[in-house]
Amino acid sequence: MTKLSFAACATAFLAGASSAHAAEIEFWYGNTGKIEEAIQTHCAAFNDAQSDHKITCVGQGGYEAGMQKAIAAYRSAQHPVLIQFFDAGTLDLMLSDAVVPVQEIMPDAPWDDYINGARSYYETSSGDLFSQPYNGSTLIFYANMEVLREAGIEEVPQSWEGVMDAARQLKAAGVECPFTSDAHPWRVLEQFSARHGAPIATNNNGYGGLDAEYTFNEGPVADHMLNLSKWREEGLVKLDQDTVAGKYNAAFNAGECAMMEASTGSYGAAYAALGDKVRITMAPMYEGVERRNTLIGGAAIWVMKGHDGADYEAAISFLNFVRDEDQQIEFTRRTGYMPVTKAALASLVASGKADTLEFATAEMGVASLNQPGDENSRGIRLGFYVQFREVFKEETQKAFNGDQTMQAALDNAVSRGNELLRRFEQTYRGVKLP
Amino acid sequence: MKHGRGGRTSSGSGTAGVKQGFYTGRWSYWTLVLPILALIAMFFYIPVALAFFWSLFLERPFGGGSEFVGFQNYDRVLSDPEFWNAMWRTLIFMAIAPTLAIGLSLILALAADRGIRISQAARNIIIWPKAVAGASIGVVFVFIFNPFLGIFAPLNEMYPGIWNPRIDGGDAFATLVVAQVWNGIPFNFIILLSGLQAIPDGLAKAAAMDGSGPWRRIVDLQLPLLTPQLFLTFVLEFVGTVVEAFGLIDTMTQGGPGGATNLLIYKIYVDGFKAYDLSGAATQTALLMMFVIAMVILQFRLERFVKYER
Repeated sequence: MTKLSFAACATAFLAGASSAHAAEIEFWYGNTGKIEEAIQTHCAAFNDAQSDHKITCVGQGGYEAGMQKAIAAYRSAQHPVLIQFFDAGTLDLMLSDAVVPVQEIMPDAPWDDYINGARSYYETSSGDLFSQPYNGSTLIFYANMEVLREAGIEEVPQSWEGVMDAARQLKAAGVECPFTSDAHPWRVLEQFSARHGAPIATNNNGYGGLDAEYTFNEGPVADHMLNLSKWREEGLVKLDQDTVAGKYNAAFNAGECAMMEASTGSYGAAYAALGDKVRITMAPMYEGVERRNTLIGGAAIWVMKGHDGADYEAAISFLNFVRDEDQQIEFTRRTGYMPVTKAALASLVASGKADTLEFATAEMGVASLNQPGDENSRGIRLGFYVQFREVFKEETQKAFNGDQTMQAALDNAVSRGNELLRRFEQTYRGVKLP
Repeated sequence: MKHGRGGRTSSGSGTAGVKQGFYTGRWSYWTLVLPILALIAMFFYIPVALAFFWSLFLERPFGGGSEFVGFQNYDRVLSDPEFWNAMWRTLIFMAIAPTLAIGLSLILALAADRGIRISQAARNIIIWPKAVAGASIGVVFVFIFNPFLGIFAPLNEMYPGIWNPRIDGGDAFATLVVAQVWNGIPFNFIILLSGLQAIPDGLAKAAAMDGSGPWRRIVDLQLPLLTPQLFLTFVLEFVGTVVEAFGLIDTMTQGGPGGATNLLIYKIYVDGFKAYDLSGAATQTALLMMFVIAMVILQFRLERFVKYER
């Protein structure tokens, strides 16, 4: 705690405040529906488990809306102590000067216990966690075995080559939609490049400094995007807009499409719709490429600046509470997100529940996140990345629509992305990347 | 409007008339005006002033380090082809949607005014859609124009891929125009119909006596006398297409596919709120504001062709 000058000031100001000083704090989160219920359950359980502190959890109706409200709240000093932010906003927050790194405020927590893919995404270049991973997901591959078997395929394909062989076989057997994706950059750019150990930008995707530049218009990502566009013309790949359902996961769940790449978080709905016809495996690789870890999706909890010592004690107490193994397992059971610490996963496996339906994605998702990593699979540390995702979608969409070639789309996305990076660099001139 | 408020203060200018007519004490005048002025200031003048201010800075989302950059943001925005694409789409949308929305409303109003069969019922029914919020209209139209389930689904079965607003930018733009026009018709219809009904019957009867047919009466009599209402609907429609299309875009296309329906108002929202580019969004807001003001000034210069006298 002494590391924190502002906390020290606050503590000095409140001279004599005991460690049992009670506080009422707020935690803002973005999720809705089933996941929101699970978060509220966490909060209620925390309030019931101890009487020192009281937490009020406030839903903001979405990650992006939560971020917008946090920005407005911080500017008018109305912000909460704890807030959940999503993966793509990581660098914006690290440089915002509005948050305290969790490892600084609670140096003794078991940070090394967090699984690789979750750690690396939210850690500083020196390896300290900036925020506490909370609801973690990652990309996996789904197959509808009933449809595959009808076409004479008995095994879920593991490689892209295998997926496309299967897709051709399915198409020959009269399946209109063999494989579906929405070509969202989280799937086709970030998760793809990470597990293939390919960079999307220089400086190890920005971990090495703010002067990074996008490079994905050449190399494995570009090859894959060109393939996707070719396979779509061949009728093997359907995007959202080509499906009757209008959305790739809805199309898979309705039985329209036989295979899809999707988040672990999609499993619940898929199982509810298709039962044990659904088979999952790690996301496919190109043959001959060594598998690296996938990146963590979902969100982490950040501690915001500008509160007093008692508030931080309450925040630390809540962060410790949600890290508890049983709490994580219960959260996984309710949401389909994965445990984020090795201890929680071990405890889940030891309990023998890991094979049950409710936890079906946990072991596989964690295994995917825990593959050996390299400097290109740590995460994405690029500025204005949320805006870049829009640029990428817009340009590749134009290519899929036939308005430009895929190579032109990637080149445009790279040059527009680099403009964003340069502006980000200028906006944060003089700020050092932590 | 023959019996409107204008008649009461016909001798003097509007404000002088109002002051003398209704509010003798200076204080009662200000007490009544101040609350609304404060509201407009809070939700319009201050934000607009802030947008102009921010457009000169590189602003960090969470604050704490804004840097004065002069007109660099304007330079960046004005040299960005995406800005001009969005501006161009906005202009096309401004040209097509109001023309259709007012043209169709005018036809409906002329028909309803002629007292043909079921026009009484039509006067009532056509107003109903006014009660539907823009976002809801968007949701409904997405369904109506669904390429597999909507009204054009049979067409797609005959010629696969001929209609798909999720892929084809032109189809998406057309869908947006239809929704915007549908949204605009009820209000324009009310205004135009009331304008038509305020035209004294005697004029039409006299014209008929002189041997002019219905078309002739529309062109030479009703349309010239309807110019105040036409002018009002045009001003409102133009401004409406710039700012109100937001709800439709957000529910129908989110600016896609490939940016084909990314009008300036939606681009500003995405840049500012989804992408934390506060400076860029502020700059584009300032530019959009100037554009709208220029359009309105231009329209009011056209007002000299409007005949308020009857």
